[in-house]
Amino acid sequence: MAALSAEDNRIEVAASGESPRRWWRSVAHSWEGRIGLAMGAVILLVVLVGPHIAPYSPTENGVGPIGAGPSGSHWLGTDDLGRDVTSRVLAGGTLVLVIPLVANLFATLIGGGVAIWAVYIGGKSDKTVTGFFDVMLTLPPLLMVLVIIAGLGTSTAVLTGAITLFFIPRAGRVLRGAAQAVVANDYIAAAQARGEGSWWLVRREILPNIAGPALADFALRTTYAIIFVATLSFLGLGVQPPAPDWGAMVAQNRDLITTNPAAILGPIAAIVLLAVSLNLLADALSRHVSGAEDDEGVTL
Amino acid sequence: MSGAVLETSNLTVAYAQPDGSEAVVVSRFDVTLTPGEVVALAGESGCGKSTAALSSLGYKIPASRTLSGQSLLEGVDLLHLPTEQLRRLWGRKAAYLPQDAAGSLNPARRIGDQIGEALHHHFGVTGAESTERQMALLDDVGLRRPQELLSRYPHQFSGGQQQRLAIALALACEPTVLVLDEPTTGLDVTTQAQISKLLRRLVDDRNLAMLYVSHDLAMLSGIADKLIVMYAGEVIESGVFRQVGYSPMHPYTSALLDAVPDPAGGRHPQGIPGSPPASVPTDSCGFAPRCRYAVDACTRESVALAEVDDRRVRCIRAVELRGALRRAPNNGTSTTSELFSGDTLLELRELSCYYRNKAGSVKVVDSVALTVERGEIVGVVGESGSGKSTLLRAIAGLHSQVSGSVVFRSEQQPVRARQRSRTALSGIQLVFQNPHSSLNPRHTVLETITRPARLGGMVKRGGERDLARQLLESVRLPSALLDRYPGALSGGQKQRVAIARAFSTNPALLLCDEITSALDVSVQAAILDLVTQLATEHGTAVIFVSHDLAVVRAICARGLVMQHGVVREEGTLDGLFENPKDPYTRELIAAIPAPPGSESG
Repeated sequence: MAALSAEDNRIEVAASGESPRRWWRSVAHSWEGRIGLAMGAVILLVVLVGPHIAPYSPTENGVGPIGAGPSGSHWLGTDDLGRDVTSRVLAGGTLVLVIPLVANLFATLIGGGVAIWAVYIGGKSDKTVTGFFDVMLTLPPLLMVLVIIAGLGTSTAVLTGAITLFFIPRAGRVLRGAAQAVVANDYIAAAQARGEGSWWLVRREILPNIAGPALADFALRTTYAIIFVATLSFLGLGVQPPAPDWGAMVAQNRDLITTNPAAILGPIAAIVLLAVSLNLLADALSRHVSGAEDDEGVTL
Repeated sequence: MSGAVLETSNLTVAYAQPDGSEAVVVSRFDVTLTPGEVVALAGESGCGKSTAALSSLGYKIPASRTLSGQSLLEGVDLLHLPTEQLRRLWGRKAAYLPQDAAGSLNPARRIGDQIGEALHHHFGVTGAESTERQMALLDDVGLRRPQELLSRYPHQFSGGQQQRLAIALALACEPTVLVLDEPTTGLDVTTQAQISKLLRRLVDDRNLAMLYVSHDLAMLSGIADKLIVMYAGEVIESGVFRQVGYSPMHPYTSALLDAVPDPAGGRHPQGIPGSPPASVPTDSCGFAPRCRYAVDACTRESVALAEVDDRRVRCIRAVELRGALRRAPNNGTSTTSELFSGDTLLELRELSCYYRNKAGSVKVVDSVALTVERGEIVGVVGESGSGKSTLLRAIAGLHSQVSGSVVFRSEQQPVRARQRSRTALSGIQLVFQNPHSSLNPRHTVLETITRPARLGGMVKRGGERDLARQLLESVRLPSALLDRYPGALSGGQKQRVAIARAFSTNPALLLCDEITSALDVSVQAAILDLVTQLATEHGTAVIFVSHDLAVVRAICARGLVMQHGVVREEGTLDGLFENPKDPYTRELIAAIPAPPGSESG
């Protein structure tokens, strides 16, 4: 429409508002999005179907020779207890995917919820919450998790809780920033002036406008969480033996690097695939979000 | 008159389109700038003014391509010069001042350093000599105590001062040509008047050749010698300002003039329906779809720019329309004589508003008393910082640090909106200044405009669509927009949606906060028209806040003048204009630019 003015010659995207379908479309149309989706599909298939199609029991010792390289019957060879590495890779992805997703979800709900509430009320509560987040951010993550595990022991629930705690201030900061930009808009004042309740304001006026950045941030943070969980398992603080887990497998099979390098390359490849696919999706999402924001630029 | 310094002819510019094609947005544009003369370039947004002005300096706007033409600056063709050589000429010979002055100053560097850099780059001047020239420049643009100012940063200046600084920076290298793009848009009326006076003085003193791009014909009449009116990328009328501006021959020029509010109060501003086409039409007159005087022949072929008497005009009916379009002083339909019921709707008693900051509490509205009758339109005028917007927010229940009381329909209202009754909330509606931020981008037009009625229980579930259709019709928008999101609408359309939302509850009181200041003149007039018409139909009282006395005079009977939170003067607008008692009111009135052809012009 306004293609004639100098300030306004950027490509106009049909602005039909924000909907999951539109997110999906723009993610599926970018190369990052496509590769991310393809990789994600592969890894998701491994995690979901893997345990059921594993040729051997992932925890049974001595199904093959000890520490042997890849062969026809053991595609990724065997580890030092004679377990089948292929079966362990296929079965070892559940927790590395589920713990980060669940922890991140809780962190986003708690941190984001508190942050948006604080921004909406403003003033002192906003300052207090932000200050609290800042203090939490100064704690070294590994140390914090170590202390928690030392106190409570290691279990899936403790691990999820610790990572949730770790991510609460991080999710909170991001969503607070996004919400703050939204709250300054006149449509919030308009809603207040017509007497909308807080629940409507947060759910219908603020949330839809920060959903984009929140989702992009969620995807990115999940990759951190995956690497964090894998690191903890590698250090022996995460998933405990004999349960198969990619992070723990890298640690356990370190000694086999000369006889069967596939025993650590397999789980490493799986972690990389998972982390990179999420990262690419996060990129595609955040590109879509910033594009959508440009699109709302002032056109007079 | 001495010879031309910039001669642009036959300039045609196209923008690349998303689908790979090119849209011609400026076609065969020409302009001649001579020293000591101001050429005004006028037209609505989207008519190619800025593109034409920038391209004539040889600047290549991203995604644009110059298809033909030449632009001679002292004999050198800027359109075919390598960027390296252009850079040497820009600043030194020809300077450009963009609309947003603050944006053209580097916020991280002191003013002195920024001007000094230009002086050093183009003249090799440094040290004490540079400082001396910097001070002379600031002095020349009317900034007092230049010595102190040189070591300050841009954010330490007001909007008007920043504009002066940007002008000083543009003049640092003593260019012969100065191109300005809407340099006073967004400034207060009084500041606007000072800046345009300053620009006129600089043109005379320095023998500058100036191209002044603006949509504001009233403001231009105080400064311009010549006028070029552009529409849809083409020059449609050009000539000496006094002749073109006072007796237009093209219907578009005439329509633009009709859109300007007349401070003399005689004439109601008229909007131009529709909007300019996106590219230069090749098979018809581009203005024909919006033109009152269009005949069949207008849509059959494109119209050439013809020399008629004292000017050039692009209209096949130019000669016959000349008489019809002449601007007669109008002395008819003033809105100021309506009678009111004497039925009090709103009463503000000693209303004061505060803002708390680190230093304590600042009073931004000081004991304002105001009574609004049913169906009355009251204007509140003041510059930015006068507290007029805060006053509206307090009435709407959006400002919580308040003393005094707001009495609506004889009931004292709680301070916060959420504590007020449903009927009180439905009875007071608000339209904001910036339509881009007052509509939630994630809500459809349907949801947006029916929500207040839903909340007030005035529409049943399932009846929203019918209500929305009626509302859109009343603000003259097609019902096809119902399921669109605000991102797909233009600024004027968004403001109409905001007005539709406000009228959805059939309010007794409408609060308008600078509702036209973000819009083009042609759109402004249409919006003013719409608000007054709807208010009359619904019997709605309006408090109309604006920095522009001329706009207020166009639609209000009674007004308040505010400064620094205090009401300086109150009365009928005729009274305020004819016999202003307060010096501040006089200052505001003096600052209003008179549109060409008005009695006060």
